[in-house]
Amino acid sequence: MNKHGKAWQRLAAAARQAPVAGDASAPFGFSTRVAALAFVAERGAPSIFGRLALRAAVVAGLLAVLAIGVNYSAIKAAFEDEPQIIANDDPIAEVVDIGS
Amino acid sequence: MADDQSFDLAGCLDRVRKRDQIAARELVEHLHPLVIRICRAHLPRRVAEEDLAQEIFLKMFTRLDQYQGSVPFTHWVSRIAVTTCIDQLRAQKRRPELRWADLSERETEVLDSAMTNENDVAPGDAVAARELVHKLLEQLKPDDRLVIQYLDLDQKSVAEISALTGWNQTLVKVRAFRARRKLQRLFRELTERERS
Repeated sequence: MNKHGKAWQRLAAAARQAPVAGDASAPFGFSTRVAALAFVAERGAPSIFGRLALRAAVVAGLLAVLAIGVNYSAIKAAFEDEPQIIANDDPIAEVVDIGS
Repeated sequence: MADDQSFDLAGCLDRVRKRDQIAARELVEHLHPLVIRICRAHLPRRVAEEDLAQEIFLKMFTRLDQYQGSVPFTHWVSRIAVTTCIDQLRAQKRRPELRWADLSERETEVLDSAMTNENDVAPGDAVAARELVHKLLEQLKPDDRLVIQYLDLDQKSVAEISALTGWNQTLVKVRAFRARRKLQRLFRELTERERS
Protein backbone atom coordinates (compact mmCIF):
# COMPACT_ATOMS: atom_id res chain seq x y z
CA MET A 1 0.00 0.00 0.00
CA ASN A 2 1.38 3.43 -0.91
CA LYS A 3 1.67 6.50 1.29
CA HIS A 4 -1.79 7.86 0.42
CA GLY A 5 -3.44 4.48 0.88
CA LYS A 6 -1.93 4.16 4.36
CA ALA A 7 -3.03 7.69 5.21
CA TRP A 8 -6.60 6.81 4.23
CA GLN A 9 -6.52 3.68 6.39
CA ARG A 10 -5.23 5.68 9.39
CA LEU A 11 -7.92 8.29 8.85
CA ALA A 12 -10.68 5.66 8.51
CA ALA A 13 -9.46 3.94 11.69
CA ALA A 14 -9.65 7.25 13.55
CA ALA A 15 -13.13 7.98 12.14
CA ARG A 16 -14.34 4.60 13.41
CA GLN A 17 -13.46 5.69 16.95
CA ALA A 18 -15.87 8.65 16.79
CA PRO A 19 -18.98 8.21 18.94
CA VAL A 20 -22.09 7.08 17.08
CA ALA A 21 -24.37 10.05 16.52
CA GLY A 22 -27.87 10.25 17.97
CA ASP A 23 -30.50 7.84 19.15
CA ALA A 24 -31.49 5.15 16.65
CA SER A 25 -35.05 4.65 17.92
CA ALA A 26 -37.91 6.23 15.99
CA PRO A 27 -38.84 9.78 17.13
CA PHE A 28 -42.21 10.27 18.80
CA GLY A 29 -45.06 10.05 16.30
CA PHE A 30 -42.85 8.96 13.41
CA SER A 31 -44.20 5.42 13.11
CA THR A 32 -47.83 6.60 13.37
CA ARG A 33 -47.29 9.19 10.62
CA VAL A 34 -45.51 6.75 8.32
CA ALA A 35 -48.09 3.98 8.83
CA ALA A 36 -50.93 6.42 8.11
CA LEU A 37 -49.20 7.80 5.01
CA ALA A 38 -48.51 4.28 3.75
CA PHE A 39 -52.17 3.28 3.85
CA VAL A 40 -53.32 6.62 2.41
CA ALA A 41 -50.88 6.16 -0.46
CA GLU A 42 -52.29 2.68 -1.11
CA ARG A 43 -55.82 4.05 -1.14
CA GLY A 44 -54.70 6.72 -3.58
CA ALA A 45 -53.55 4.11 -6.09
CA PRO A 46 -55.45 4.07 -9.42
CA SER A 47 -58.87 2.40 -9.02
CA ILE A 48 -60.24 -0.30 -11.31
CA PHE A 49 -62.65 2.29 -12.75
CA GLY A 50 -59.73 4.59 -13.54
CA ARG A 51 -57.81 1.83 -15.27
CA LEU A 52 -60.90 0.78 -17.28
CA ALA A 53 -61.52 4.39 -18.27
CA LEU A 54 -58.01 4.60 -19.69
CA ARG A 55 -58.56 1.42 -21.68
CA ALA A 56 -61.91 2.72 -22.92
CA ALA A 57 -60.21 5.90 -24.15
CA VAL A 58 -57.65 3.84 -26.08
CA VAL A 59 -60.35 1.63 -27.63
CA ALA A 60 -62.39 4.72 -28.60
CA GLY A 61 -59.32 6.23 -30.26
CA LEU A 62 -58.71 3.04 -32.25
CA LEU A 63 -62.36 2.92 -33.34
CA ALA A 64 -62.13 6.52 -34.50
CA VAL A 65 -59.05 5.73 -36.60
CA LEU A 66 -60.78 2.60 -37.97
CA ALA A 67 -63.89 4.59 -38.90
CA ILE A 68 -61.78 7.13 -40.79
CA GLY A 69 -59.97 4.28 -42.58
CA VAL A 70 -63.18 2.53 -43.64
CA ASN A 71 -64.82 5.76 -44.84
CA TYR A 72 -61.67 7.25 -46.32
CA SER A 73 -62.91 7.25 -49.93
CA ALA A 74 -66.17 8.98 -48.96
CA ILE A 75 -64.32 11.60 -46.91
CA LYS A 76 -61.84 12.19 -49.73
CA ALA A 77 -64.63 12.54 -52.29
CA ALA A 78 -66.45 15.04 -50.07
CA PHE A 79 -63.33 17.20 -49.86
CA GLU A 80 -62.72 16.99 -53.62
CA ASP A 81 -66.33 18.07 -54.36
CA GLU A 82 -66.13 20.95 -51.98
CA PRO A 83 -64.59 23.60 -54.35
CA GLN A 84 -67.35 22.88 -56.85
CA ILE A 85 -70.00 23.34 -54.17
CA ILE A 86 -68.38 26.54 -53.00
CA ALA A 87 -68.22 27.79 -56.58
CA ASN A 88 -71.91 27.00 -57.10
CA ASP A 89 -72.95 28.70 -53.92
CA ASP A 90 -70.70 31.70 -54.37
CA PRO A 91 -72.93 34.80 -54.82
CA ILE A 92 -70.19 36.71 -56.67
CA ALA A 93 -69.83 33.83 -59.10
CA GLU A 94 -73.55 33.87 -59.62
CA VAL A 95 -73.55 37.64 -60.21
CA VAL A 96 -70.72 37.25 -62.70
CA ASP A 97 -72.66 34.46 -64.40
CA ILE A 98 -75.71 36.70 -64.67
CA GLY A 99 -73.62 39.50 -66.07
CA SER A 100 -72.18 37.26 -68.78
CA MET B 1 -34.15 -3.81 16.50
CA ALA B 2 -33.11 -4.29 20.08
CA ASP B 3 -35.27 -7.31 20.80
CA ASP B 4 -34.85 -9.29 17.60
CA GLN B 5 -35.73 -12.55 19.31
CA SER B 6 -39.08 -11.48 20.72
CA PHE B 7 -40.37 -9.65 17.64
CA ASP B 8 -42.59 -11.81 15.44
CA LEU B 9 -41.64 -10.40 12.05
CA ALA B 10 -43.56 -12.93 9.95
CA GLY B 11 -46.72 -12.40 11.98
CA CYS B 12 -46.31 -8.64 11.82
CA LEU B 13 -45.90 -8.76 8.02
CA ASP B 14 -49.06 -10.84 7.70
CA ARG B 15 -50.97 -8.27 9.71
CA VAL B 16 -49.54 -5.38 7.68
CA ARG B 17 -50.69 -7.10 4.49
CA LYS B 18 -54.16 -7.19 6.00
CA ARG B 19 -53.86 -3.40 6.44
CA ASP B 20 -53.42 -3.46 10.19
CA GLN B 21 -52.13 0.01 11.04
CA ILE B 22 -50.88 -0.99 14.50
CA ALA B 23 -48.77 -3.73 12.92
CA ALA B 24 -47.42 -1.19 10.42
CA ARG B 25 -46.37 1.07 13.30
CA GLU B 26 -44.68 -1.83 15.07
CA LEU B 27 -42.83 -2.73 11.90
CA VAL B 28 -41.58 0.85 11.46
CA GLU B 29 -40.41 0.98 15.08
CA HIS B 30 -38.69 -2.38 14.73
CA LEU B 31 -36.85 -1.45 11.54
CA HIS B 32 -36.10 2.18 12.37
CA PRO B 33 -32.60 1.58 13.88
CA LEU B 34 -31.55 -0.36 10.76
CA VAL B 35 -32.92 2.24 8.35
CA ILE B 36 -31.66 5.28 10.23
CA ARG B 37 -28.15 3.81 10.42
CA ILE B 38 -28.09 3.48 6.63
CA CYS B 39 -29.51 7.01 6.24
CA ARG B 40 -26.90 8.51 8.54
CA ALA B 41 -24.08 6.71 6.77
CA HIS B 42 -25.17 7.80 3.30
CA LEU B 43 -27.01 11.03 3.96
CA PRO B 44 -26.79 13.50 1.08
CA ARG B 45 -26.12 17.15 1.81
CA ARG B 46 -29.17 19.21 2.81
CA VAL B 47 -31.45 16.18 3.24
CA ALA B 48 -32.98 15.53 6.66
CA GLU B 49 -32.45 11.98 7.86
CA GLU B 50 -36.06 11.73 9.02
CA ASP B 51 -37.39 12.66 5.56
CA LEU B 52 -35.13 10.09 3.96
CA ALA B 53 -36.19 7.41 6.46
CA GLN B 54 -39.85 8.22 5.79
CA GLU B 55 -39.34 7.86 2.04
CA ILE B 56 -37.66 4.49 2.57
CA PHE B 57 -40.48 3.19 4.77
CA LEU B 58 -43.14 4.35 2.31
CA LYS B 59 -41.34 2.52 -0.50
CA MET B 60 -41.16 -0.55 1.72
CA PHE B 61 -44.93 -0.54 2.30
CA THR B 62 -45.68 0.09 -1.38
CA ARG B 63 -43.52 -2.84 -2.47
CA LEU B 64 -44.41 -5.22 0.34
CA ASP B 65 -46.37 -7.48 -2.02
CA GLN B 66 -43.19 -8.00 -4.05
CA TYR B 67 -41.31 -9.48 -1.10
CA GLN B 68 -41.03 -13.21 -1.80
CA GLY B 69 -39.02 -14.23 1.28
CA SER B 70 -35.98 -15.42 -0.72
CA VAL B 71 -33.71 -13.12 1.35
CA PRO B 72 -34.12 -12.07 5.00
CA PHE B 73 -36.60 -9.21 5.31
CA THR B 74 -33.97 -6.92 6.87
CA HIS B 75 -31.72 -7.42 3.82
CA TRP B 76 -34.63 -6.60 1.54
CA VAL B 77 -35.33 -3.39 3.47
CA SER B 78 -31.61 -2.55 3.50
CA ARG B 79 -31.55 -2.76 -0.28
CA ILE B 80 -34.48 -0.37 -0.54
CA ALA B 81 -32.72 1.97 1.89
CA VAL B 82 -29.41 1.79 0.02
CA THR B 83 -30.95 2.38 -3.41
CA THR B 84 -33.02 5.29 -2.08
CA CYS B 85 -29.91 6.89 -0.58
CA ILE B 86 -27.99 6.37 -3.82
CA ASP B 87 -30.83 7.91 -5.84
CA GLN B 88 -30.80 10.94 -3.52
CA LEU B 89 -27.03 11.25 -3.81
CA ARG B 90 -27.24 11.05 -7.60
CA ALA B 91 -29.97 13.67 -7.65
CA GLN B 92 -28.00 16.22 -5.69
CA LYS B 93 -26.03 18.75 -7.67
CA ARG B 94 -22.42 18.26 -8.65
CA ARG B 95 -20.14 17.61 -5.70
CA PRO B 96 -18.15 20.72 -4.83
CA GLU B 97 -14.43 20.32 -5.25
CA LEU B 98 -12.73 19.86 -1.89
CA ARG B 99 -10.02 22.41 -1.19
CA TRP B 100 -7.60 22.75 1.66
CA ALA B 101 -9.37 25.97 2.66
CA ASP B 102 -12.63 24.03 3.13
CA LEU B 103 -11.13 22.08 6.01
CA SER B 104 -11.33 23.24 9.59
CA GLU B 105 -8.12 23.77 11.57
CA ARG B 106 -8.65 20.50 13.38
CA GLU B 107 -9.28 18.65 10.13
CA THR B 108 -6.08 19.96 8.54
CA GLU B 109 -4.15 18.81 11.61
CA VAL B 110 -5.75 15.37 11.37
CA LEU B 111 -4.98 15.19 7.66
CA ASP B 112 -1.40 16.28 8.24
CA SER B 113 -1.05 13.71 10.97
CA ALA B 114 -2.48 10.95 8.78
CA MET B 115 -0.18 11.89 5.89
CA THR B 116 3.06 12.35 7.73
CA ASN B 117 2.83 10.33 10.90
CA GLU B 118 3.34 6.58 10.84
CA ASN B 119 1.32 6.30 14.05
CA ASP B 120 -2.46 6.28 14.27
CA VAL B 121 -4.39 9.54 14.50
CA ALA B 122 -4.89 10.59 18.14
CA PRO B 123 -8.15 9.25 19.63
CA GLY B 124 -9.15 12.81 20.60
CA ASP B 125 -9.29 13.68 16.91
CA ALA B 126 -11.85 10.99 16.07
CA VAL B 127 -14.73 13.42 15.43
CA ALA B 128 -12.58 15.64 13.20
CA ALA B 129 -11.36 12.52 11.40
CA ARG B 130 -14.95 11.42 10.79
CA GLU B 131 -15.88 14.86 9.41
CA LEU B 132 -12.85 14.80 7.14
CA VAL B 133 -13.62 11.28 5.96
CA HIS B 134 -17.17 12.34 5.06
CA LYS B 135 -15.90 15.34 3.13
CA LEU B 136 -13.58 13.07 1.18
CA LEU B 137 -16.31 10.51 0.57
CA GLU B 138 -18.58 13.23 -0.82
CA GLN B 139 -16.12 13.54 -3.69
CA LEU B 140 -16.79 9.97 -4.81
CA LYS B 141 -19.58 8.63 -7.00
CA PRO B 142 -22.53 7.50 -4.83
CA ASP B 143 -22.04 3.77 -5.53
CA ASP B 144 -18.29 3.94 -4.85
CA ARG B 145 -18.86 5.99 -1.72
CA LEU B 146 -21.28 3.42 -0.39
CA VAL B 147 -18.83 0.55 -0.90
CA ILE B 148 -15.99 2.38 0.84
CA GLN B 149 -18.29 3.40 3.68
CA TYR B 150 -19.25 -0.22 4.28
CA LEU B 151 -15.75 -1.62 3.80
CA ASP B 152 -13.55 0.86 5.64
CA LEU B 153 -15.87 2.49 8.16
CA ASP B 154 -18.43 -0.19 8.97
CA GLN B 155 -15.83 -2.95 8.34
CA LYS B 156 -18.24 -5.19 6.51
CA SER B 157 -17.04 -8.01 4.27
CA VAL B 158 -17.50 -8.05 0.50
CA ALA B 159 -20.09 -10.82 0.93
CA GLU B 160 -22.05 -8.75 3.44
CA ILE B 161 -22.02 -5.71 1.16
CA SER B 162 -23.17 -7.89 -1.70
CA ALA B 163 -26.10 -9.12 0.41
CA LEU B 164 -27.01 -5.61 1.55
CA THR B 165 -26.85 -3.96 -1.84
CA GLY B 166 -27.76 -6.78 -4.20
CA TRP B 167 -24.58 -6.13 -6.25
CA ASN B 168 -22.43 -9.16 -7.04
CA GLN B 169 -19.11 -9.53 -5.22
CA THR B 170 -16.98 -8.75 -8.29
CA LEU B 171 -18.83 -5.47 -8.76
CA VAL B 172 -18.29 -4.58 -5.10
CA LYS B 173 -14.53 -5.26 -5.47
CA VAL B 174 -14.31 -3.22 -8.67
CA ARG B 175 -16.10 -0.29 -7.02
CA ALA B 176 -13.85 -0.53 -3.96
CA PHE B 177 -10.75 -0.51 -6.17
CA ARG B 178 -11.98 2.47 -8.16
CA ALA B 179 -12.97 4.37 -5.02
CA ARG B 180 -9.62 3.79 -3.29
CA ARG B 181 -7.75 4.99 -6.38
CA LYS B 182 -9.88 8.13 -6.47
CA LEU B 183 -9.31 8.72 -2.74
CA GLN B 184 -5.57 8.44 -3.20
CA ARG B 185 -5.75 10.97 -6.02
CA LEU B 186 -7.77 13.29 -3.79
CA PHE B 187 -5.16 13.03 -1.04
CA ARG B 188 -2.41 13.81 -3.54
CA GLU B 189 -4.28 16.79 -5.01
CA LEU B 190 -5.14 18.19 -1.59
CA THR B 191 -1.57 18.08 -0.38
CA GLU B 192 -0.15 19.40 -3.66
CA ARG B 193 -2.58 22.34 -3.62
CA GLU B 194 -1.71 23.03 -0.03
CA ARG B 195 2.01 23.18 -0.88
CA SER B 196 1.40 25.47 -3.84
